[in-house]
Amino acid sequence: MVKKFVLVLLSILILIPVLLLIVQSLSKRWNYGHLLPKEWSLRAWDVLLSEQRLTEAIGWSYLIGILVIILNIFIGVLAGKALAHENFKGKSMIETMLILPIIIPSLAVAMGVHFTMIRWGIADHWLGVVVVHLIPTVPYSIKMFRNAFDQIGLKQEEQANSLGASKLYIFYSIYFPQLIQTIRAVVFLIFVISLSQYALTAIIGGGNVLTLAMIYFPYFSTVDDAVMSSFSLLFATLPVILFLLCEFVLRLMNPYKRKFR
Amino acid sequence: MKKLLSILLLFSLFLSACQSNQGENIDPFELSWDEIVEKTNGTTVRMFMWSGDEGINRYMDEWISPKLKEKYNITFERIPMDTQDILQKLLTEKKAGKKEGTIDIVWINGENFKNAKENELLFGPFTEKLPHFNEFVDTRSLNIQYDFGTKTDGYEAPWGKVQFVFLYNEDKVPNPPRSFEELKEWMMDNPGKFTYPEPNDFTGNAFLRHLLYESVGGVQALLDRGFDENFVNKNAQSMWDYLNEIKPHLWREGKTYPSSLTELDRLYSKEEVWMTMGYNEARAESLIKEGTFPENTKSFILDSGSIGNTHFLSIPNNSPNKVGAMVAINFLLSPDAQLAKLKPNYWGENSVLDPDRLTEEMKEKFKQVDRGQSVIPAEILKENMMPEVNSEYVNWLKEKWHEEVVQEK
Amino acid sequence: MKKWFKKNKWMAYLMPSFLFPLSITIYGLIMAIKESMTDNTGFSLQAYRALFYDHAFWASYLYSVRISTISTVLSLIIGILITRLLYQKLLKTEWKLLVWVPMIFPHFVWGYMVVLLLSQTGFISSIFNHFEWIQDFSQFPILLYEPFGIGIIVTYVWKEIPFVVLMLLPVYAQMNQQMPLVVKTLGGNEWNVFKTTEWPWVAPVLFETGIIIFAFILSAYEVPALLGTTYPKMLSVLSYEWFFYADFRYRPKAFALMVVVTMTIMTFVLIFFHMVNQKRYRMMKGNGR
Repeated sequence: MVKKFVLVLLSILILIPVLLLIVQSLSKRWNYGHLLPKEWSLRAWDVLLSEQRLTEAIGWSYLIGILVIILNIFIGVLAGKALAHENFKGKSMIETMLILPIIIPSLAVAMGVHFTMIRWGIADHWLGVVVVHLIPTVPYSIKMFRNAFDQIGLKQEEQANSLGASKLYIFYSIYFPQLIQTIRAVVFLIFVISLSQYALTAIIGGGNVLTLAMIYFPYFSTVDDAVMSSFSLLFATLPVILFLLCEFVLRLMNPYKRKFR
Repeated sequence: MKKLLSILLLFSLFLSACQSNQGENIDPFELSWDEIVEKTNGTTVRMFMWSGDEGINRYMDEWISPKLKEKYNITFERIPMDTQDILQKLLTEKKAGKKEGTIDIVWINGENFKNAKENELLFGPFTEKLPHFNEFVDTRSLNIQYDFGTKTDGYEAPWGKVQFVFLYNEDKVPNPPRSFEELKEWMMDNPGKFTYPEPNDFTGNAFLRHLLYESVGGVQALLDRGFDENFVNKNAQSMWDYLNEIKPHLWREGKTYPSSLTELDRLYSKEEVWMTMGYNEARAESLIKEGTFPENTKSFILDSGSIGNTHFLSIPNNSPNKVGAMVAINFLLSPDAQLAKLKPNYWGENSVLDPDRLTEEMKEKFKQVDRGQSVIPAEILKENMMPEVNSEYVNWLKEKWHEEVVQEK
Repeated sequence: MKKWFKKNKWMAYLMPSFLFPLSITIYGLIMAIKESMTDNTGFSLQAYRALFYDHAFWASYLYSVRISTISTVLSLIIGILITRLLYQKLLKTEWKLLVWVPMIFPHFVWGYMVVLLLSQTGFISSIFNHFEWIQDFSQFPILLYEPFGIGIIVTYVWKEIPFVVLMLLPVYAQMNQQMPLVVKTLGGNEWNVFKTTEWPWVAPVLFETGIIIFAFILSAYEVPALLGTTYPKMLSVLSYEWFFYADFRYRPKAFALMVVVTMTIMTFVLIFFHMVNQKRYRMMKGNGR
């Protein structure tokens, strides 16, 4: 009973702002004291869709995002396992350092990061953008995979080892199915973080990379509520689409759910 | 561990050697204009600029870009980036020794220009090479030669002119005030319906500058002296007094101020306050059309005058296509481009060209543009125009305001 | 060499994470520290001195820490209550997506939505006015741009609760379902169940998440820039203003501020990890079905 109530309450609290955005994106003049806009208009969506480089920007956002996700999963699984299943001197220090990128304000390291990208020759290049997006995302994926490996424990691996299984097979048959939950969450979270990167991406991308965030953030320093709403909604659909795609892929890959061999 | 580090080192050295450094070293100063135009055929020019205004964006994308392609076969790209981020990028690139960047044109003025010039981030002097600059711009005008007290020296080309106005909601304010005194009285009659952005914001700072001019007895005194801190400390008292006197009648009783013009505009659009302000005397038009501002928004200026401002275009030192940038800027200075810019369906911003240098036909076309109901006629604006002063005053105002107004209890 | 790698396996696993994101970040931090100690005249601690003598800094510091703490604590408490109550439902995809909806919008979009909803001329006030519960918008309470930072707190809590749920869900998913029954048969109540069976697992994750949220709120710029007051400002807004000040004269001060904030959090984090790691390792070893 309580559960139902809380669920409904949550739904309201979460969906009302979204609904508001939708209405706002279609409104032209919405005066105080009125429940609905006085004048409606599709202008905000028109502005959105007539942006010449929209498809390009969405493409870049997905490309960069997916690469960042794949790298994150790779790094996160390895590091997460090491932190959960091994014990070694200086572990706390390492953990602290790994969480550093989230603690340091990005403004502080922006110059240093840009400098490094120039020196490595990947500034003004999409590779540089991918690397830069790793910085705010990797700590999260490491953390999440670490928690997952904590929960799974070592016993299953030990058993499989004693039965002579190879490392790869252990990963595929034992860990992977149990990590699907985490992988889902990581895909989602990392993509959202990567999508919303703005200042550093703009500087490191140098105009060679045009992401959705770059087109859309400047509108937030205006009072054009309708356009801000339409862009926010478009922005939000991107992770949803990716998530659905990811679900599909995971279904295919899960060794225990495959309906065909 | 040592082996690891050496691998890392080799790796980074390898990558740094991969920096591409193509790009012909063309020295534009040795070429004639026609040769310059020839060299730009088929090249790409990238302009980095603030892209938060739909009208401006469309002007650049729908009018400028296709024309540049048509006329010169230049691919013109507009890249969204805030001026401060652009400067930061150029600075870091200079520090890291990156000889070839990606930015060809920068939209810039005021303190940002001063900063960029002092840090040797800009290419130039190039304006003399531009035919339209020589032909149509009043190069002797102080507005063109000085940008907030810094000599432009040909490092930036003027692009547009704006003037500061107050905007008000005619439904709520039938008789707009004409002087600061009348404004104060209006505030007392209408408590909570006026406020101004913090001076960290460009517009908020401009509001204070208007008061400053009054307080020291006119802008000439400030112009004559350059930046004179003693003088202004002694003579600004009436400004601080004014600001403190109006405080209790402001929005939120002056306990907090909108952090930017956008926030003030938002309050105005929701009719929480009844006045706003800003550079670009025509800014209200598109906002009214969009439905953001109340329909009966009009503008007014005070008898004491309205500050006028020019903004510019520059070319970074590490631009990969300097000649392309010059051709593009030259085009942006053409009467046709400036006329299109003036029309309210795109930007609605004033031309920077000297009307006396235009052909009669062009002059007529400019005169005939209907800028909209909310815009004050050009002659009145021109009569009351006041120039900008040294940019150091901008900083001085930022700091002193906190002491004198915010922390005064 | 190969033997060394085998013995220190963890090194190999952690290498990729070090190679890129971490080394760049550390280099960036070193550069920031260097900048904070450089002046026109070379090495100087003047920035730090200016920082610590600045009233605005201390006022901001209190303001920021207060807002961050309240937001973090609220997010954690509400987050864990929701997770505890609803995790069976949430493990099914549809409901989980609902809780994650706030996460698909960037922070400042949420800030913007809070402005749309809670400002005196906002949507909720508009409804009140429409139904004549208030006559004029000035009767609606002041929730934004005021010194308690209510608007900021609401924004962050709204956005971070899904994150807390996201982090706690895997813990609850793997939880031993029999234990609560055991506690109950031994005479324990709901609180005992929580304390003995859930807390040992939940605590490390909860605290880690709390630190992440706290650090994030402290250093994030857009939301307080949108919803805060003129004075005091949040530390992130202050450092942003100093950083981008016209002629960069306040850059060292901005860097100094950011360095001080970073170092403070780092110390807490280090102490926390040290205390918690041994216990966590032991528990992990005992885990698995």
